[in-house]
Amino acid sequence: MANNNLMVGLEIGTSKICVVVGESRPDGTLKILGVGQAPSRGVRKGEIVDFETATKCLHEAVVDAEQKSDVMVKSVYVAVGGSHLQSFNNRGCVMLPEDRDEIDEQDVEDVKINAREVSIPAQNAFLHSVIQHYQVDGQQGVLNPVGMLGEKLEADFHIIHGVRTRIQNSIRCVKELPLDVEDVVFSGLASAQVVLTQHEKDLGALVVDMGGGTTDYVLYSEGAVRQSGCLAVGGDHITNDISMGLRIPMARAEKLKTEEGSCILGNSLPGEMILLKDDSGFAGKEVERETLNTIIHLRLREAFELLKRRLEEEPYLGYLGAGIFITGGCSLLNGIDHLAADIFEIPANLTHAQAAWGVTSAVENPQFSTAIGLVKFAQVMHTDRPSRGFRRIFRGLFSGKR
Amino acid sequence: MIQLNKNYSLPERLAEFIPIKIVSVGGAGLNALDRIVLDGLERADVVAINTDVHSLTSSVATRKVQLGRSVSRGLGAGGDPDVGYQAALESADEIREALTDSRVIFVCAGLGGGTGSGAAPYVAQAAREAGALVIAFVTLPFGFEGKRRNTQAREALARLNEFAHSVVCFENDRMGDLTPPKAGIHQAFAMVDMTISQSVRSIVNLIQRPGLIRIGFDDLLSALRIRNSRCLFAYGESDSDNRAHDALTHALKNPLMDRGRMLADATHVLVQVAGGPSMTLSEVEILMQELGRHVSEQTQILFGAVVDARLGDRLSVTIISSLSAEEEVLLQTPPAPSGASAVAPVRERYQAAAPEPHVQTEEPTVQVQHFEKTIPFEEPVAAETESVAMPISTEPPVIPARNGRPEPAITAPQQKPVPRKEEKAPAEKSATPAKQEVLQFEPVTRGRFEKSEPTIIEGEDLDVPTYLRKNIKVK
Repeated sequence: MANNNLMVGLEIGTSKICVVVGESRPDGTLKILGVGQAPSRGVRKGEIVDFETATKCLHEAVVDAEQKSDVMVKSVYVAVGGSHLQSFNNRGCVMLPEDRDEIDEQDVEDVKINAREVSIPAQNAFLHSVIQHYQVDGQQGVLNPVGMLGEKLEADFHIIHGVRTRIQNSIRCVKELPLDVEDVVFSGLASAQVVLTQHEKDLGALVVDMGGGTTDYVLYSEGAVRQSGCLAVGGDHITNDISMGLRIPMARAEKLKTEEGSCILGNSLPGEMILLKDDSGFAGKEVERETLNTIIHLRLREAFELLKRRLEEEPYLGYLGAGIFITGGCSLLNGIDHLAADIFEIPANLTHAQAAWGVTSAVENPQFSTAIGLVKFAQVMHTDRPSRGFRRIFRGLFSGKR
Repeated sequence: MIQLNKNYSLPERLAEFIPIKIVSVGGAGLNALDRIVLDGLERADVVAINTDVHSLTSSVATRKVQLGRSVSRGLGAGGDPDVGYQAALESADEIREALTDSRVIFVCAGLGGGTGSGAAPYVAQAAREAGALVIAFVTLPFGFEGKRRNTQAREALARLNEFAHSVVCFENDRMGDLTPPKAGIHQAFAMVDMTISQSVRSIVNLIQRPGLIRIGFDDLLSALRIRNSRCLFAYGESDSDNRAHDALTHALKNPLMDRGRMLADATHVLVQVAGGPSMTLSEVEILMQELGRHVSEQTQILFGAVVDARLGDRLSVTIISSLSAEEEVLLQTPPAPSGASAVAPVRERYQAAAPEPHVQTEEPTVQVQHFEKTIPFEEPVAAETESVAMPISTEPPVIPARNGRPEPAITAPQQKPVPRKEEKAPAEKSATPAKQEVLQFEPVTRGRFEKSEPTIIEGEDLDVPTYLRKNIKVK
């Protein structure tokens, strides 16, 4: 890309593939130039199962994005998901050499490496090590230790890892096109970048990105990622349940879900029926509204309860000041926020990408949270990198003098 | 002072050979038997028993017994258990002779027809009198085959329950659970046979395979000892990376297990883990730990481990247990009192012929003696029949069963040989290639996610609709 400020986020989702082209403005804001998308085939539960078909769909989506934004896409940030992703918190620790007591960039790198020195399964690879807090000589809550004086630097990291080969599948698919992959980002983390403001992260918030095949979640507390993960249950499961429960085809079930579905029980009149029209407009089967809602309700309740049990393994769920933020395609389902609030006993909000502007129809659509989040993530990385480079040069000169 | 013999060597513990016989009775049983033989079975004799000569000749069994040469004259029993029973009586000596010298006898039969319902209980009785452990594998007819046929099947099952030590019962009506809706009918039928074949073979392997931690005949007995019990059986196999987990998951998917929930009530659970030389201790540990979650703390787990080079990279797990059928007594529908008139006399005749099943005075071997001591069976008096409950539940979730080939519902004996032959030869043998080895038990369909990796969290397959798993009825 000619313009250094252009960034592209690509999400290979279970129901759609979408490509978001964004521009980082000098004032630090993010403008969305165009969104390309294509229905996804060959993807199940957030992971590619049919490589060739997925590549074709991916190509369509990229072409669409290029047309709409008038930008040649060359390199992308790719979101990865799937149930194989796991996460944990770990603390790294480095002791400074005797003759030096100022913490420098290298120490911060070392402590990150140190924190990664934990055993993860042999076939897994690290995806992210997200810094939570530093501690210098036991002093808590240090945000940036570079330049501080101390003997011992500790750091808490949230580490996300997944099966290497399955992460590589997405990368390979993109490289087939051929496009360069700048980075891979856990899709839940990407969504959180745009859905939450810094203030909400500080207060404590849970982002639930419920997509077609998977539900990604990221929990922030005191400004740092505490828990994250991916549950391989999503909108597809609801559609599948409806299709099996009401004995209608998947496409019809999908339509019924988006047009009529709700996860609130007892809201319909007794015996209220929904008339299913077939493609030719003739009246077909009748379905009781309460039945439909029951199927949806049971599935979502189960998914949320499962999520709650997972999150309760650590104590942060009780300290969410900002509440729950639901995004992703499933958040369009009627009543999902009430159900989530009911189960978690925490206020729940429906949300979409906040920290961006441009193509408003895209920004306001929760289905694009992840892809827009990727662009935001890229923006953060871009603004981070040069400054880090500068600092390193500067530090080099400085230490050379000493 | 007693000294430990340090030279104690393993080879002493090689499995002693336990003579096993697999006996099929009737047309459906014969089909299952053929399947078992075609799937490859070592260390067991097979005996085919039928009234119908045509199906006997086309069977691959090594030993064949034709029933009722004068009663049915080489034709089938015509769906009449009375004829089946008479035929068995006529050939009683041949049956007895065929059943001698075995310590375990499997009786496979499809109940509801003439030979299966009439002769199978008699064969089971003869087997028991020969001093063997009798395990019956039976199928119940489809609901659409009519009330009379079902009544016949249930009567026969009650009789069979008296004589067999354990009865594994598959319901044909449940066959739909096993096969995809679009599968051809021959495939659906083949599935039953394969299920039975799988069950029989894994029990045979269990007994015969020499193991590191051996499961003995005595262990099998204690797992199946409960009187009037319903047998829980599961077998799973996997060669994936996470094979310990996958094999167990496969096993618990077996409808007979109801996803492992049935195990919670069992007092004894017999588990055998078999694998190639690459099987590791940690794999076994993982598997047993996972299984441990499905059983209660009081349950005695009889564990066996086997290293068998022939398994290669695969790891297989066999779970056998039995549940007392008591709780099901309440649920089961009493057989129609006035029932089919043709059935009633049969029962009387049974009683006349076999007044006391406890005819085990001459014990052939010491082994058998020991076995007889282990099981304090209280032999039911024949008159008790009326009160003996059949372990057939009418409640859907409890017996997730299976299929079996119903004997063709032909009433006129004269027509029998021709359709039989047709049904057997093309539909059966050619349609089911012998290469299928591992049965994937899929009790409930996963719809769109059929072919994707299952999402199993906290022991539940999340791809299966929630309302199905929670048994919540939606219209």
